[in-house]
Amino acid sequence: MSGELVKVLDGNIFVVSDDCGDIEASLTDPTGLFAYDTRFLSKWVLTIDDQRLNALSVDDLQYFETRFFLVPGTGTVYIDAKLSVIRQRAVANGFHEVLTILNHAEKPARLRVRIEAASDFADLFEVKDALEKKGKYANHVVKGSLRLGYERKTFKRSTLISSSQRAKVDSDGLTFDLRVPAHGEWTTELDVVVEGPGYGELELPKGRRRRTMEANLDRWLASAPRIACDWEPLKRTYNRSLVDLAALRFAPPITGGRSLPAAGLPWFMTMFGRDSIFTSLQALPFTPELAATTLTALGEWQGTRLDDFRDEDPGRILHELRYGELTAFEERPHSPYYGCADATPLYVVLLDEYERWTGDRKLVRDLEYEARAALAWIDDYADLQGTGYIWYQRRNEETGLENQCWKDSWDSISYGDGRLPGFPRATCELQGYAYDAKMRGARLARAVWNDPAFGDELERQAADLKRRFNRDFWVEDDEYFALALDVEGKQVDALASNNGHLLWSGIVDRSKAKAVVRHLLGPRLFSGWGVRTLAEGETRFNPIGYHVGTVWPFDNSFIAWGLRRYGFKDEAATIAAGILDAAEFFDGRLPEAFGGYEREQTKYPVQYPTACSPQAWSTGTPLLLLRTMLGLEPLGDHLVVDPVLPAGIGHLELLDIPGRWGRVDAFGRGRVEVASRRATRRR
Amino acid sequence: MTDGAGELFERLGAVEQVPLLKQASGTMLLELTGAPRTERWRIIVDKGEVQVARGPGPADCMLRADRKLFARMAAGKVNAFAAVLRGAIKIEGDPRLLVLFQRLFPGPRS
Repeated sequence: MSGELVKVLDGNIFVVSDDCGDIEASLTDPTGLFAYDTRFLSKWVLTIDDQRLNALSVDDLQYFETRFFLVPGTGTVYIDAKLSVIRQRAVANGFHEVLTILNHAEKPARLRVRIEAASDFADLFEVKDALEKKGKYANHVVKGSLRLGYERKTFKRSTLISSSQRAKVDSDGLTFDLRVPAHGEWTTELDVVVEGPGYGELELPKGRRRRTMEANLDRWLASAPRIACDWEPLKRTYNRSLVDLAALRFAPPITGGRSLPAAGLPWFMTMFGRDSIFTSLQALPFTPELAATTLTALGEWQGTRLDDFRDEDPGRILHELRYGELTAFEERPHSPYYGCADATPLYVVLLDEYERWTGDRKLVRDLEYEARAALAWIDDYADLQGTGYIWYQRRNEETGLENQCWKDSWDSISYGDGRLPGFPRATCELQGYAYDAKMRGARLARAVWNDPAFGDELERQAADLKRRFNRDFWVEDDEYFALALDVEGKQVDALASNNGHLLWSGIVDRSKAKAVVRHLLGPRLFSGWGVRTLAEGETRFNPIGYHVGTVWPFDNSFIAWGLRRYGFKDEAATIAAGILDAAEFFDGRLPEAFGGYEREQTKYPVQYPTACSPQAWSTGTPLLLLRTMLGLEPLGDHLVVDPVLPAGIGHLELLDIPGRWGRVDAFGRGRVEVASRRATRRR
Repeated sequence: MTDGAGELFERLGAVEQVPLLKQASGTMLLELTGAPRTERWRIIVDKGEVQVARGPGPADCMLRADRKLFARMAAGKVNAFAAVLRGAIKIEGDPRLLVLFQRLFPGPRS
């Protein structure tokens, strides 16, 4: 592989290839054509007269379409290429590739063009964990096409490869013996179609496919608010976010074709409760329809039974849904898997926030049952210790998730001295979400469900939770909230970014907010780019540890929102400035996480090695930061605008913000001086 | 029919309102294959009201499964979505109905 990986995607179908457009995957390497969590092509290699090609350039035309310009010869020095080759590839129910060969010579060229194709039909989990296959492979030549197939009992997946020009087809690929006239060209269209149960429903007639996707993207961009800003990079970041969010939308066949955000490329192109909810919250002021789909789809899949393998309870919102072989044979619990402790309260938070922005009471009425079931889950199923808090402990000990909060890696929840607590665990932000869910549920009960008594009860519970929380989680000596409580009710006392989510939830006593903010913007947590997941000085702190020291843009967007909620507008602007500055270094596309090194030390944000990109909630981050900086807040049928912007941004306008008010504009001018900003900003 | 599927239909025939299906409307046609012959049932849901009818008819979603497998599904022992993914049961039409329909089945623990 000669250079960068090239990704073309549309929802949960994507192609990852080298910069020639070739795919040569090993079991553990995430290149190939993937659909529904299965690799449908692991080899796709183009040769001309047995020679591989060299990349001249790659043009990303759209997120779903790329063009590769190639020449024969594999050395670093070209031997006066008389041929050029163009591969134009668009994702569509597999992919569609137009292969064009141009002959620049004065005489005709006789060429043997070969495409080698193969598939290992690996489940994405197998790619991630390097597992072996249990079924049988069989390739067939059918009417001039090649079908790569895989079967394990009733499980059947296949890839159909066909071309518009006649080819010699064998079980390993297609060969074209052709003649290209002098100064002429030869072209063929190649179609690679994925086949499995229910997949056909996504298929559109050929030709209409691309136009539909283009029109769809145009519509998406046209309906989002427009930005005008003195600071050019912010415009670029904003537009990048909108396009990436469009790319990450996916319409699983089982949800009837409506789209919601998938979590991120390459591992998480599927429905995730937590990620879909957070992303929908971030995007609400821009594309409220994402929230509507997320609420409806997650509501339909809401847990109704006790199922230990899936960690399912009645009322619980799903964690992750998968379509691959391991899920099909129940070797993995993702059909769907419910082991997550935050999506359920966040579901109610999103429902309320959605209504506040859109005024869509019908959806809130339609989802009353689901919202009540979610609220009931908090008290009836999540309080594993009977102490009035949300606790988590997996019942599926083999393949379930240990940490069921957003920081879900094994070492993310620790005491300051580095020890890991036992299970169950009650992490702090979960209690904040529960508080917010009850408060917002109370509002909905009164305003929409016509049940003021239920509203009173929820508010009473919320007040009680807040009182206990501020007593039990508060680390008196250092004045912040502990990361969690352990089984004995003792504080898991590491200082972590979770404190910011607590501000967002509103559970923090006003009298404690100032101290919390001092920590969030203090040297142990704030790197200059953003708030670290874990504070410097904690035993497990590592600036490139996944959840123990890196900076997560999504995390910071909610922290900034929390700072605004408690009136710390300048501090919110400081975080927004840091993250948006970082975005500039990634050409407007924020990665999932970057290193928690001091900004002064590295001068640029160091990307976390295996971070997903694009990733939905990183993509949504600039949107939420815009909302936060402009101080956008629905109040009845009006939108309040209260801008506090970092100085470097200059003038900022956000035009045609959709909501229950119709469309309104917001304006602001930067005034908050942020230390370290000017000095390190790339010109 | 004395297996789990039969019990399910009996149970559904006896209740009229299933709150879990308050938002659902649609007809699910079940084709249960295997000895002694293919049986067809329809479950008609109208905003939580459930009716069971025997025999074919118009439907929004058709589910075809071996009777024994369906009985295990109706008893909460087999997950419907996983079974669709591995091709053990086939569905045609609106797949959302399957998700909602699964709410009628008990869980593995009950």
